[in-house]
This record gives sequence, structure tokens and C-alpha cells, in this order.
Amino acid sequence: MEAMDTLKPEIARLFAAKEARRHKLAALPFPEKVRAVVCLQEMAAPVLRARGIKVRVWNLDDRVA
Amino acid sequence: MKRTLQVLNELERGGVIERYAIGGAMGATFYVEPLLTFDLDVFVVLPQSTAGLLSLAPLYEALRARGYTEEGECVFIEGVPVQFLPAYNALLDEALMDARETSYEEAPTRVVRAEHLIAICLQTGRDKDRERVRIFREQAELDMNYLAGVLQRHGLEGKWKQWTP
Repeated sequence: MEAMDTLKPEIARLFAAKEARRHKLAALPFPEKVRAVVCLQEMAAPVLRARGIKVRVWNLDDRVA
Repeated sequence: MKRTLQVLNELERGGVIERYAIGGAMGATFYVEPLLTFDLDVFVVLPQSTAGLLSLAPLYEALRARGYTEEGECVFIEGVPVQFLPAYNALLDEALMDARETSYEEAPTRVVRAEHLIAICLQTGRDKDRERVRIFREQAELDMNYLAGVLQRHGLEGKWKQWTP
């Protein structure tokens, strides 16, 4: 119980930081968000393909490597 | 995606579609954190045929003529799978009419308003729509008066109360 209590402020800080990051991401310009979506696609595609789900990662003409 | 949007604009200018706006997860991404999606959902108002029917066939034909191929429900336009969804009810008609004018890398485009995207989620009613409504409430800047009007006009106030206790 005591260990749990000492963890609480740290966990609360981590959750707050995570929340702040999501709000920061929400405030990005749209083109940057689209590039982030493509990064998410690149991460998710191998997992989905391994499950037999056919997906294609977008090929953005305006993407900076 | 810039080229994809330019193609959509060309289709609109040519009268193949009357009006379009980005919806779905990419529409939501305009207002909230980036959401994983593999399709670009595009709501469209289609011109009526002489028989008074609405059909996606002329749109697909126009895209085929430009060399874009279909795969399942999508058409690959400049590296992006686009799913066209014709406006099939009063809520979507209104969402398209009031869609927000914006630009993506200098390509003009339209995105469905956050308040309409919420209403569409309520109307569709899947688990992922409920989660999306939660994200909208948490992260998007919403015009609550405008949202109240949309919900009232389309009979979604009960669902909103149910989903947002």
C-alpha cells in the first residue's frame, strides 16, 4: 500500500504529460498531422498484414524523408 | 496528398461531383491528435442523372479515364486510397454544405466541421465512433451552440446525452 501511495504522484505526472502531448499533437498543422498518420500506418501495417489484413501505406507526394 | 486533393478539385470543377469534403478519421485528425486510418473518406454531393438517380459510376469512370484504379471500396488517387461516400441523408447534406474551407500544402480543400463529424459518429453509433466522440470532446475546440443546433435538427440529442453522461 505504501509503495502504491509513493507511486501515485509520479503516475499522475506521467498521465498529465501524456495528456499534454496529445493536446500538443492536436494543435499541429494539418499537413504535419497527415505525415504523423502515415508514420502510424508504417508502424501498424506489418502487424495488420501478419493478421491477414490487407492495408496500404499512403504514398505522399509532398512527404519529406 | 496534395495531388489527391488537386484531383478532387478538378473533378468538382469539371462537374463530375458537385461538392466534396473530407470526413472520417482524416477529417477528425484535422481537429484532434492524428488518428490511424488507411482510407481517405470523402463525402460527395453527386449531380443527379437525367433519370433522377444518384450513382457513383460516372465518378469512377472519370477516375478510370485519368488512370486511377479501384481496389475494394477505394480508388487509389496519387498514392492515397480514397473512399467516396455519397451524401445519403439530411445530416450529410448539411455537413457538406457547411464544411470548412481550408488548404493543404496550398491545395484548397474542405473538411467537415467537427460538430458535424460528432453528429455523424452519433448517427453511425459504432464503438469506434463513441471513442471518437470522446476524443473530440477532450481535444477539439467545439462551438457548443452550433453542435446543439445540429443535434436538435437531426434528432441526436438523446444519443448525445447517452454517450456523454
